[in-house]
This record gives sequence, C-alpha cells and structure tokens, in this order.
Amino acid sequence: MSTATVGDLVSQPYKHGFVTDIETEKIAKGLSEDVVRLISSKKDEPDFLLAFRLRAYRQWLQMEEPNWAALGYPVIDYQNIIYYAAPKQQEKKASLDEVDPKLLETFEKLGIPLSEQKRLSNVAVDAVFDSVSIATTYREKLAEHGVIFCSISEAVKEHPDLIEKYLGTVVPSNDNYFAALNSAVFSDGSFVFIPKGVECPMELSTYFRINSADTGQFERTLIVAEEGASVSYLEGCTAPMFDTNQLHAAVVELVVLDDASIKYSTVQNWYAGDEHGVGGIYNFVTKRGQCRGDRSRISWTQVETGSAITWKYPSCVLQGADSVGEFYSVALTNNRQQADTGTKMIHVGPRTRSTIVSKGISAGHSSNSYRGLVQIGPKAVGAKNYSQCDSMLIGDQAAANTYPYIRSQQPDAAVEHEASTCRISADQLFYLQSRGIGFEEAVSMMVSGFCRDVFNQLPMEFAAEADKLLALKLEGSVG
Amino acid sequence: MPAVALPATADWLAALAGEPLPGRRQEDWRFTDLAPLQAVAPQLWAGPDPFAHVVLPAGVTRLDGAEIQALADPILHATGSATAWPVRLNQGASPHGLALRVSGAAGPLQLQLDAGDGPGLLALQLLLVLEEGASFELLVRHASRGANATSLVTLVQLGRGARLNLGVLAAGDARASLLSHLAISQAPASELQLTTAVGGWGLSRLEPRVCQLEGAAQTRLRALQLVDGQELADTHSQVSFGGPEGELDQLHKVVADGAGRSVFNGAVRVPRQAQQTNAAQLSRSLLLSERARVDTKPELEIVADDVKCAHGATVSRLQQNELFYLQSRGIAADQASKLLLRGYCEEVLRELPAAAAACHPLQLLLPERP
Amino acid sequence: MIRPDAPLLLEIRDLHARVEDQPILKGVNLTLRAGEIHAVMGRNGSGKSTLSKVLAGHPAYTVTAGSVTYRGADLLELDPEQRARIGLFLGFQYPVEIPGVSNLEFLRVATNARRAERGEEELDTFAFEDLVRERLKVVQMDPAFLERSVNEGFSGGEKKRNEILQMALLEPLVAILDETDSGLDIDALRIVAEGVSQLAGPDNATLLITHYQRLLDLITPDYVHVMAAGRILRTGGKELALELERTGYDWVDQELANLEATSEREPVEVA
Ligand SMILES: Nc1ncnc2c1ncn2[C@@H]1O[C@H](COP(=O)(O)OP(=O)(O)OP(=O)(O)O)[C@@H](O)[C@H]1O
Ligand SMILES: [Mg+2]
Repeated sequence: MSTATVGDLVSQPYKHGFVTDIETEKIAKGLSEDVVRLISSKKDEPDFLLAFRLRAYRQWLQMEEPNWAALGYPVIDYQNIIYYAAPKQQEKKASLDEVDPKLLETFEKLGIPLSEQKRLSNVAVDAVFDSVSIATTYREKLAEHGVIFCSISEAVKEHPDLIEKYLGTVVPSNDNYFAALNSAVFSDGSFVFIPKGVECPMELSTYFRINSADTGQFERTLIVAEEGASVSYLEGCTAPMFDTNQLHAAVVELVVLDDASIKYSTVQNWYAGDEHGVGGIYNFVTKRGQCRGDRSRISWTQVETGSAITWKYPSCVLQGADSVGEFYSVALTNNRQQADTGTKMIHVGPRTRSTIVSKGISAGHSSNSYRGLVQIGPKAVGAKNYSQCDSMLIGDQAAANTYPYIRSQQPDAAVEHEASTCRISADQLFYLQSRGIGFEEAVSMMVSGFCRDVFNQLPMEFAAEADKLLALKLEGSVG
Repeated sequence: MPAVALPATADWLAALAGEPLPGRRQEDWRFTDLAPLQAVAPQLWAGPDPFAHVVLPAGVTRLDGAEIQALADPILHATGSATAWPVRLNQGASPHGLALRVSGAAGPLQLQLDAGDGPGLLALQLLLVLEEGASFELLVRHASRGANATSLVTLVQLGRGARLNLGVLAAGDARASLLSHLAISQAPASELQLTTAVGGWGLSRLEPRVCQLEGAAQTRLRALQLVDGQELADTHSQVSFGGPEGELDQLHKVVADGAGRSVFNGAVRVPRQAQQTNAAQLSRSLLLSERARVDTKPELEIVADDVKCAHGATVSRLQQNELFYLQSRGIAADQASKLLLRGYCEEVLRELPAAAAACHPLQLLLPERP
Repeated sequence: MIRPDAPLLLEIRDLHARVEDQPILKGVNLTLRAGEIHAVMGRNGSGKSTLSKVLAGHPAYTVTAGSVTYRGADLLELDPEQRARIGLFLGFQYPVEIPGVSNLEFLRVATNARRAERGEEELDTFAFEDLVRERLKVVQMDPAFLERSVNEGFSGGEKKRNEILQMALLEPLVAILDETDSGLDIDALRIVAEGVSQLAGPDNATLLITHYQRLLDLITPDYVHVMAAGRILRTGGKELALELERTGYDWVDQELANLEATSEREPVEVA
C-alpha cells in the first residue's frame, strides 16, 4: 500500500522555464537619472512623461524599501539590474508577418498563439517580451467599437492626451517604494480605453514574458472605462528558470466612471525558484482601481501560483456612491515560496460595497500571508463589506498567516470578516479513494473545490486553465 | 495642565523605562496616542501602598523576596514581555509588589487598586503562582478620579491542572491612563479564564499575553472595551502555543461612542509543534457615533496543518433585526437600543469573578445617562 | 442465491486488525461467492464498521494477521482506489462531506476510473449526464443533488441515497453496505432496498451490515452472521435474524465468556 501523504505532493517541474535565444538590446546595468532619461528617449516620449519619470526617480531616492510584510529576502542591489532590454527589432511591426518568428514561436510554446490562423477567436492579446510589446491582436476589430487596446508605449505616442490625463492618478508616483521605481523606469505594458457606453466585444489579455536573466521588468498598465463602459481583462505571466532572482515591479491603474465596470483577472505563474529557494521572480506589484463614478464596479480576480516572492495588494478606492469592489484570490505557495498578498477596500462614498474572498494554500516550507485592509471612511454611510479568508495547510512545515485590518469611522456601516484554517482530512481523502479516485487526483479535486468560489469568477476560458495550473503545481512525486 | 510639563513627562517616562516612548512608527503603537500619559505630572504616585493591608484568603500565602525573581523571569521570558515598553516602565518605577502562592482550592480575593485623585504614576506589580491543581479566583479593580497613571504588571504561572479565574474591572477617569500588562504561562491541563472590562479611561492599554508552555491547556479570554468622549482604549492580546492540543476561546467586544477610539490587535501563534490546536477568536465592535473609530486587527500565524483556527470580526451598529424584534413587541426604539447594548456588555461582564457582582459592573462602566 | 459452485469473490481468513493500539478485529472468517447476499449483525461496537473499513483499505486501520483474497488476489496490498476500481464498494455508515467538490464531477471521475479499469471508454460530460440521470431513478433522487458539493448539507437519508447512487454507477462485484438502512424514512427504506435488490445479481455479492429485520424483510439474505468482540460468533440462514429479533444479544455474553475461557485458560489459572 502506498504511504503517500498529502505533504509528499511537491511541485511539478516548471513548464515555462525555457529561454528564447534572441538578440537583445540592453542598456548597461544600474539606475541613475541618465538611465531614466535614456529609457524615455529610447521610447521617444513627450516631455510630460520624462518629467513624470524624473519626479518619480527623485522621490524613489528619498524612500525606503518597505520591510513590514512577512517576507525575508536578501538585499536587492538596484544597481545590478538592467532597466531596459528589448529584442532587436527596430519598430513594432504593423503586421505580424514581420515579427521575428522566434518571438511568435515563444508565445506559441507558452500557449498564446498570435498568428491570424491560430489566435484565440474571442480574446485579443497584447504580448510583452521583456521590456516591449511585440504584438497586439485584433486591434482593428476593437477600433471599430472605439476600444483602444495597445501597448502603453504606443498609447503615449498615439493618445498622449489620455495618458497625461490618467497616468499616475490612481497610483501616485510616490505611493510606495516599488511604485516610485516603476514610475521612473517603466518599460511597457498595456493601455485599454473603453469609451462611453461601450461593452468591449471581446476579452482583452496581456501576456508578460521575462526572458533576460538580469533584467528587471517594470510594466505599467492603465485601463480606463468611461461612463457605462465595461471590459474583462486578463493578464498572464511566465519567465525562464534562472538561478538568479529577477525583479518585477509592476503598476496597474484602473479608472471607472459612472456605471462602468472592469473585471481584471490575473493568472500569475512567474518562475518560483527551485525547491531550495534558488532563483525565481521577486514580484512587487502595486495594483489599484478607482471607482470614481457612481454605481461603478471593479473586480479583481487573481490566481497566484508563481514567483519566489509575491508582494501584491490589488485594491479598490470606492469613491462613487453605490460603487462596488471585489477581490477574489487564490494564492498557492510551495517549496520556499513566500507570498504576502491581499487587498485594500477603501470605502469613501455612501452605500459602497465590497467583497473579499481569499483562499491561501501553503505547502512545503512556504509562507503564505493574507494582509488586508477594510477602511470605512466617515462619509461611507450604509457601506458594507464581507470578507472571507480561508487557509489550507499541506504538511507541517508551511506557514499561513492572516492579518485582516478593519478600520471603521462610520456607525451606519457593516463590516464582517470570517477566517478559517483547514487541511485535507484523511477521511475525505479516503472517501474519494474508496470510489476509485487516485490519491493525487483526490487531493487536486479537494484543492480546487477549496478554490471554487474564486475560480467561478474567472472568465470561462481561464477557469479550466487555472484549475490545471493548480493541479500541476501540486502534482508530482508521491511516495 | 501646563503645556510645558509635557516634554518633561515624556523624558521622565523614557528615563524610567530606559527607552523612549513608543511612537507611531512602531506597528504595535501605530494607533495609540500617548498624550494622556504625557499629561501626567512627572512624579511617582505618593499615596500608601495599596497592597499593604491585603487580607489573604485560605490557601494563599506571600512569596518571599528570594523566590520572586526566580519565578518572575521565566514567565516574562515565555511571553516575550521583558522588552515590552510598559513592562520596562513599570520596572523602572519602583513598583509596589504583591507576590502570592496559591495551593489547593483557595478562597477568592479582590484587590482594589485605586489611584484616586492623586497626581503621578502609580506602579504596581503582582505575581501569582498557582501550584499544581490549585484553583483561585481573583478580581482586580482599577479606579481613578484624576490626572494620574496606573501601571500594573501581572505575572502568572499556572501549574499543571491549575485553574485561575482572573477578572480585571477598570472604571477610570478621562484624565487618567491605565497600562496593564499581563504575562501568563500555562502548564498542561491548566485552565485560564481572563475577563477584562475597561471603560472611562483617557487612555487604556491592556496587554494580555498568554503562553501555553507545552500546549494542552485551556485559555478563555473575554474582554469588553468601552470608549466615549475623547477616550482611547487599546488591547493588544497575544496567545502562543508551545505544544499540541491547546485550546483558545477568545471574544473581544467593543462599544465605541462619542469621539472615542478603540484599538484591538489579537495575535494567535500556532507553531509547528502545536498540532491539534483549537483556537477561535471573535472580535465584535459596536460603533455608535459618527465620530468614533474602531481599528481591529486579528493576526493569525499558523505553521501546523492539523489545527482548527477560526477568527471573525464584525463592526457595525446595533443589529437592525434585533432592534426590530424588540420594537415589534412594543418597546420604544431608544429603550430597545439600551436593552440590547446592556445585553451586549453583559455577555462579557457576567463572566467576571463572582465578587464583581457586588459593584454592579454595568452601572460602573455604562452609567445610565440623564 | 446459494450456488456452491459459484465463483469465490471474497475470502476473509482469520483477520486481525487494530486501530491506533487497540485491537478490534480478532479473527474474522467470511467467504462470499457470486450471487450471495450476506447480512452481518451485532451489537454496537462489535467491529462491523471496522471490518468494512479494513476491507476498503482505510489507512487508520492496521491489519496485524490474516488474509483477504479478492477473486484470487491479495486485496490487502492494494490502495483504496485500486480496490474500488476492481469492484469493491463500501457504502459508508457515515459518509463524509466534502465542501467545494461538485457531486456530479466526483461521480463522473469515479465512474470513469472504474470504467478505465474494465477497459471501457471514458464518458464525456454529456454521456455521463445521461447515465447518471438514468441511475438516479434507481434511488429516486432529485437531479438537483448533482449540483451540490459531495454530501454537503445532505440530510442523513439523502447521504445514504447518494451512496446507493454511487453503487449504481460503479457496478461493484462486492458491495458492503454499512447500515445503509439507518436514518431512512419508510419510503426511502423501500427505495434503497429495491435499489440494492435491483443491483444484486448472479455475478456479484452483497454484504449488508444492519441492525434491523425490516431491511431483511425486503432483501432476503442467504446467510446471517452475528459479530461480537471482533469475530463472527455465529452464522445461520435468514431465520437467525428473526431469532435475534426475539431474543436479543444476551446469549452473546455467555458464548463469549466460554470463548474467552478456552483461549485464556492459562493466564486465568496463573492469576
Ligand atoms: N479510531 C478509533 N480509536 C479507538 N477506538 C476505535 C476507533 N475506531 C473504532 N474504535 C472502536 O472499535 C470498536 C468497534 O467499532 P465499530 O465502528 O467497528 O463498531 P460497529 O460494530 O460498526 O458499531 P455500530 O453498530 O455502533 O456501528 C468500538 O469499540 C469503537 O469504539
Ligand atoms: Mg458501525
């Protein structure tokens, strides 16, 4: 009889760990005002953006790296990172046929075919490779509806007014250490603009790929939904396996006006390092959405399975009356991974509502923390929050921490928080096994059952993907 | 209070503690404004030793000087209390002390620690050692009617199978501060019930820290915090399990009115060796006024897979459906609110040691307003 | 139906098992041939559920002596899922709840695992829905139960019906039903009994663990065994159950005392 225990299920080899051999243009390592200027000039940016970057850089110099998260990692040498790397290819190509086939191949290998024949029929994709966007599908079709979906570099050139109007208005450049760093050196990312009254006709998706070993990735995403507009957006991320750590410090800003909604989903599978904690991505991300308009809505869904370190709190500032914020999260950590993730729901306007559902699964020697803030301001009459944080522990070496802050200044508001910890019980496992379901499958069924409330929130195409990803992460050597 | 006295008091307190006053940059003190403490005259409280004439019940004896340090240190160590600022302040302020040993089923005891209207800092230390199988009920009453501060450090060691019912009932003054640190170590099979009820203090800071040395003990914590006016009440509790099969049942209740501020931080630590721990923490806050604030932060840290840990928190005003139920039986809205509020407080107060009933804790903490 | 030449399905020989450090089974002998229906009765705590869980391979129980042969092969060395796939089924006395895991999904994965073992093709979601709807009729269960999580929030009787539904889908060769009749209302008892009778055939065998004659009125057993203190104390035909109904288990004590006396004579004398 097998003596397998749940704890024996350790991660499957990382499937996306290959490196694409492509000629890359990199600038020298290190960060200085000159580097900031160089990045800006490479991108041919207007003055306002250079000024934005320089201000952020100066602010960053004055700031201290945060150390309050329950994370431990060696000191990052910010002078030992390359801040700009791009595959050598002069302009972004008008047609996909001109894109270096190696790049197309890379994305195809990652399951993101970009070519006309193979691309997904109902999802528009922006593919970002190291510091630049190499292709965006369905741009014309979207343009017919007035939807802008392009890389942020292109948006800077083609829609500078929109960028100037919205960039940095949700996450100010001095918001935090990593946001300041990003604001100074951000390379690429996606821009989405959904005009008044338009329901985006297809899912939008950005796929981020880190390829170079010593390059940091600092992408910037900005999504604006005007009055009555709505969009569902998904990002995916992978990186090769290196035994060094790569820094990824992204900023995502969402703006929603009256009656508009944005659904933002993430499936994060950056390389997590090996079982001894060597290598992997340091993922320090600032994501925030502002429900500016009345009855507006932002929904964050994240499935976090990768990265050596994840530091990420997708948040909602609920300004508009009756606006709604949601956060659905699955965070799985294994081996030596560390995740400190959660959300902030800042209730400003009256009758604002928020829901938080967080599912943390910790296995191996990993550490998984939920850190959340629900703040009810004095004007948030009738505001409501419900939070639920569940942890599942696999093996007795993993840590699950829960830090749910609540701050309330409004008597006519209701905040409710529930948290629990569980493990897969031997009796449940036996029940499934006694019906012929194998050990690994039984575990993975129960893990995805545990996460179901969150998976239900993912766009259809990706829910199955996320399920598989989780199963993969837990699958492996039984014995 | 003359404004010039403020810096002097801060320096004086820092000198006593051998460490500057904690500030907002320290996570544990982020929301705790120490202004009322700094408004106290920089001198030690001059009244008589409140422990001088305590009459001990059967089964309780005084410990002698030599034993005290040897018993105190391991408790402070187990709960990590030695470095806590309120403990350092207390130790620097030449506290009056009472050190007791309890054996067998001892009679109940009540301690009156009244700072009255005298100025300055009243520093007190209490050491309780419950021998194996001993049981004891202790009610500690704090009171103040003036601009003073009470600092109490309570150290408790519960032997195997010992049972302690400890109550703290503290009704203060808007000008007064209360700093109460409780360090409690529990041997297996011991049972602790700690009930605290605090109201009326300009500043109160309660720091109950319980360590189940080898797990397998029972800890029941009940707390009620009332703030009104400009008062601030802060509770930082911490429970850690040093072995398997420990149990924790914690309920923390808050009533925040006026421009009062309530802070609750409840840490529960379940390390690897603490399998089969069963811990439940519930924090319930009533926010009654537009100007009051509630900050609550449970902290659960778990590194063991076979445990049951649940926690919950709610912040709201009185339950609409409960109010409605009473109203539908003909009770006027304000009367109904009052009834519910009293019931809400009673849930904690009725768990105080029996001696508390005589002083009508509800009336003491929630006086019927005209 | 007793046919002495029917193939042997399950053969339990002198089975001893313990849980933690507590010996529970102390030498169980039992043989099941194709076509037979056996009933096991006995006082609370006599070891009936333990026997069923040991047969299904529950990891909490350790076999300390004896053997169990299933269709000629050693059953005890197989994982629980393998036992299920080759046709051993246990209907639990207390089916567990598994929040989050959809009942339909669970049934489909289990059914396909059994089918794969039998060399049959996997059923896709649609084909499976058809099958499950057909089998639901056996237990007259509302299809709404398929949409819920496995047993979560099911009433006692609903859980038992869900067990029989699983049996109907997995088509076992040896079905052990541990008190599937308890907690059922009168109609449900009839439905479950009809279901079991319908599924019992010449090629499979059924072991009913029960306390009550009322189930045996509906499903006639070929053998009735009385279990006590971890062994089978007496075996008879269906009349034995009727006799128990009248006399109760008092005689068990006497018989057990005799047994203890024989097996422990020496230590008794020393004392
Ligand atoms: N995990 C366990 N630890 C200790 N004792 C156990 C355990 N499981 C079972 N037992 C004991 O083994 C004995 C047999 O239990 P079992 O469940 O097999 O009885 P049963 O015959 O099915 O009873 P019932 O008719 O009440 O269902 C009982 O005394 C029970 O308490
Ligand atoms: Mg039983």
